Amino acid sequence: MAGFPSPSQDYTTAEIDLTEHLMPNRASTYLVRARGHSMTGAGIWDGDELVVDRSIRPQHGHVVIAVLDGELTVKRLSIGTDGRVVLSSENPAYPDIAVPSLSDLRVWGVVTVALHHVSRAS
Amino acid sequence: MSPAPREAMIALVDCQSFYASCERVFDPSLENRPIVVLSNNDGCVVAMSQEAKTLGIPMGIPWFKLEPIAAAQGIVARSSNYELYGSISARVMEVIGRHAAWQEVYSIDESFISLRGTVEELIQAGRRIRQDVARCTGVPVRVGIAPTKTLAKVALIGVKRSRPLSQVGVCHFGAYSPTQRDTILASIPVMDLWGVAGRLGRRLANLNIHTAADLAAQDPGQMRRRFSVVVERTVRELRGTPCIPLKEEPRQYKDQLIYSRSFSEPVTTTPAMRQVLSIYAQQLASRLRNAGQEARVLTAWASTSPFATDQEPHSPQISAVLPVPTAEPVTIARGSLGLAELIRPGTRYVRAGVVLTDLRPAGQAETLPGLGPPGEGRNLGPTLDAVTARFGVGSIGLGYGGLGEPPSWQMRRAMLSPRATTHWEELVTAHL
Repeated sequence: MAGFPSPSQDYTTAEIDLTEHLMPNRASTYLVRARGHSMTGAGIWDGDELVVDRSIRPQHGHVVIAVLDGELTVKRLSIGTDGRVVLSSENPAYPDIAVPSLSDLRVWGVVTVALHHVSRAS
Repeated sequence: MSPAPREAMIALVDCQSFYASCERVFDPSLENRPIVVLSNNDGCVVAMSQEAKTLGIPMGIPWFKLEPIAAAQGIVARSSNYELYGSISARVMEVIGRHAAWQEVYSIDESFISLRGTVEELIQAGRRIRQDVARCTGVPVRVGIAPTKTLAKVALIGVKRSRPLSQVGVCHFGAYSPTQRDTILASIPVMDLWGVAGRLGRRLANLNIHTAADLAAQDPGQMRRRFSVVVERTVRELRGTPCIPLKEEPRQYKDQLIYSRSFSEPVTTTPAMRQVLSIYAQQLASRLRNAGQEARVLTAWASTSPFATDQEPHSPQISAVLPVPTAEPVTIARGSLGLAELIRPGTRYVRAGVVLTDLRPAGQAETLPGLGPPGEGRNLGPTLDAVTARFGVGSIGLGYGGLGEPPSWQMRRAMLSPRATTHWEELVTAHL
């Protein structure tokens, strides 16, 4: 039947797309390299690649990248009921950082995924 | 001149000090510092942050003149990081595009969009665009809104020049009374408008047309007869009549394509010059194909430094008419390689270029069987592009240009920031 293709032809299935899964908002997503050991409790290890989605509004409990002294710093954002803001480390060997007020805090982006390589091809 | 509020308005969104802003995205320590971005081979200043402009650094100043005083003034220099700027530009344009049904990307850091709403609604929309682009990409943008493209540009000039407007970052031309609009137009030199450059500007000045207001007061038909339809349109657009439609397609075909670069170290041999030309030809072929164009005429040239006193200056040049209009890299390379035979071995050449002209949309020319370019039909160009996209620039090349090892004359970018969005090994560090 020329001219009228089967409607079922539209039901093509695409392969699972890891990029789509890990970074649904591509235009606002940057990747950075984690360096240090203060966030092991959050599952972030030295050398991991971090997916940072800047379109997400930072909230209490998010792992964020904050700008501290001109550097990108990864911490967990804690906003207390009294309005106290703390950038928490997730490793007992590292201190938390108190932020005077929310307006002093510059969040560069919200970390959504840590890519941790477990085996490497030699 | 005062349109109904629901009529489509044009917003021009432009990135503030785009290259410098891109440098700041991944390096917040650069905030509030004067940044200069250098041209190819770190030659001269091609872009600056506002802080650098405020210091009075002249655009185009050679880096070797600025370098001795740079550290003392806290000036930070960066090599042009084209990979980063291109990647961030694409993100900025996508986010801007979400705010409008129609978008024309005008340049790497400017985009027109079409908006509908009252003056207040559109100023709000402009603020939302600014917030959204800054949050998602880290790049500050400004918005000029008006009934026409030319007036949107005028509104944007207002955002740049007026302190209160620059705080808001948004200007709607329709927010002003007719008298105020005249005052604004009278404050804008005609040379600041689009398409009014050197010679045309001087001819207008001879007629006592110095400001946008002077030009707007001219008779459009007379301007067309005296100058061109372009000037006529500018007059009408300044009066509020849209004459330059939004183009969603890429901008009109350029009438020439140029690829020319200075070398980081001089080229002195015929084989090295062949290599240069092969690589340039491949780049041009790729650009042509991306633009959906073909070229028929080719010019290649090389030159020695005008400052070298210990050798005869030499600027060989060749022109070639290609057998058929083509975007095919082998033909373009062949056409340009003749130049390598013209150089004087031992002479130090510091610059070369390939220029393609007589451009036309691809696929218009009929080719007799057997008379097409040698690579045609074998998909050579797209294949080269695909390999380059996958494995990086320099991973594959034509004949003399096909080298994994970067040739010694290639661009020097000593102060290059990480290519943080295009190279895994250059991801920026976040400290834990």
